[in-house]
Amino acid sequence: MVIRIAAVGDVHLDEDVVGRFRPALEELPECADVLLLAGDLTRHGTEAEARCVAEEFGGLAVPVVTVLGNHDHQCDQVPQVVKVLEDAGITVLEGNGVVLDCAGGRLGIAGVKGFGGGFAGRCASDFGEPEMKAFVRTTTDSADRLGAALRSLDCDMLVALTHYSPVPDTLAGEPLEIYPFLGSYQLGQAIDSAPTALAVHGHAHAGTERGTTPGGVRVRNVAHPVIKQAYSVFHVGDQLDTDQVSPIGQSGSQRSWS
Amino acid sequence: MTHHRDIGAGPPDEYVEAEIQRLLVEDPAVAEQGITVVRRERALVLYGEVESPHRREEILRLVSERFPDVPVTSDIGVIRAQAPTEIEQLP
Ligand SMILES: [Fe+2]
Ligand SMILES: [Fe+2]
Repeated sequence: MVIRIAAVGDVHLDEDVVGRFRPALEELPECADVLLLAGDLTRHGTEAEARCVAEEFGGLAVPVVTVLGNHDHQCDQVPQVVKVLEDAGITVLEGNGVVLDCAGGRLGIAGVKGFGGGFAGRCASDFGEPEMKAFVRTTTDSADRLGAALRSLDCDMLVALTHYSPVPDTLAGEPLEIYPFLGSYQLGQAIDSAPTALAVHGHAHAGTERGTTPGGVRVRNVAHPVIKQAYSVFHVGDQLDTDQVSPIGQSGSQRSWS
Repeated sequence: MTHHRDIGAGPPDEYVEAEIQRLLVEDPAVAEQGITVVRRERALVLYGEVESPHRREEILRLVSERFPDVPVTSDIGVIRAQAPTEIEQLP
């Protein structure tokens, strides 16, 4: 069973970007079963920018599943943004999941935006001022909802989709001082609470592509400035020809569909 | 306003860096979090990746407008948006 997953995050669309991704997106049906968008679809989260996203990522021949990012919250128009995306056929996840019937099996995707807080030993605590408690509780609630959504899905393969990072590995390249604003270990813990096959996130524009949760789940940072292509494609499955399998740390193998 | 140096010397470079970084994030015309400001002798160099040539121009325009006396150069790239040429196999 192999499921082909295309993913990109942080496309930060506005009128000046519309059309740049489209030629590559038209090739999706040949190479992927689904496209995941890892949040920060817009610059400021306005309804007008959401319409740019709908134009660029709507009407594709593969299902498109997204979470929102922090930029998509900037103008407090989340309900309008979600509506524009959903009207364009894009599935927007926040604390819930979706199961898609793919040729290789049933793909379950659970998603949340997530939040910051930092990583084991260097993280914020639910202690002190109300602002600090609210910060940490936002993270914990988000992670709890991700874990519950992951565990609730009846599927053959499980993928976690977030904007914030669940591990520090994929932040390498970012200043250490800002790690607590880029992700939180609770998201990783949620991912490890279910038989997750792959975790995809964005947000860390200067980070790196590959990481692993403490529980061994592969993590991929697909922020557009990191992958520097329209999207990355992952073939996830357990019955691969050994000569197709790329060892960890290598950049992948030649595309097999062309 | 507090002067940290002799009048005429301008604000210390570190405050200029901090202000540029916040300007680029908080100005609605830009909203870029991924731009790095690096000091090179008496000039500032902007690094980073943006989604369009228009945004690169906006960033330079904004910074030069706000700091007319600081020489600013840019090494900002526009991120490629081609289809991938490789896939990654995950067992
Ligand atoms: Fe982003
Ligand atoms: Fe972000």
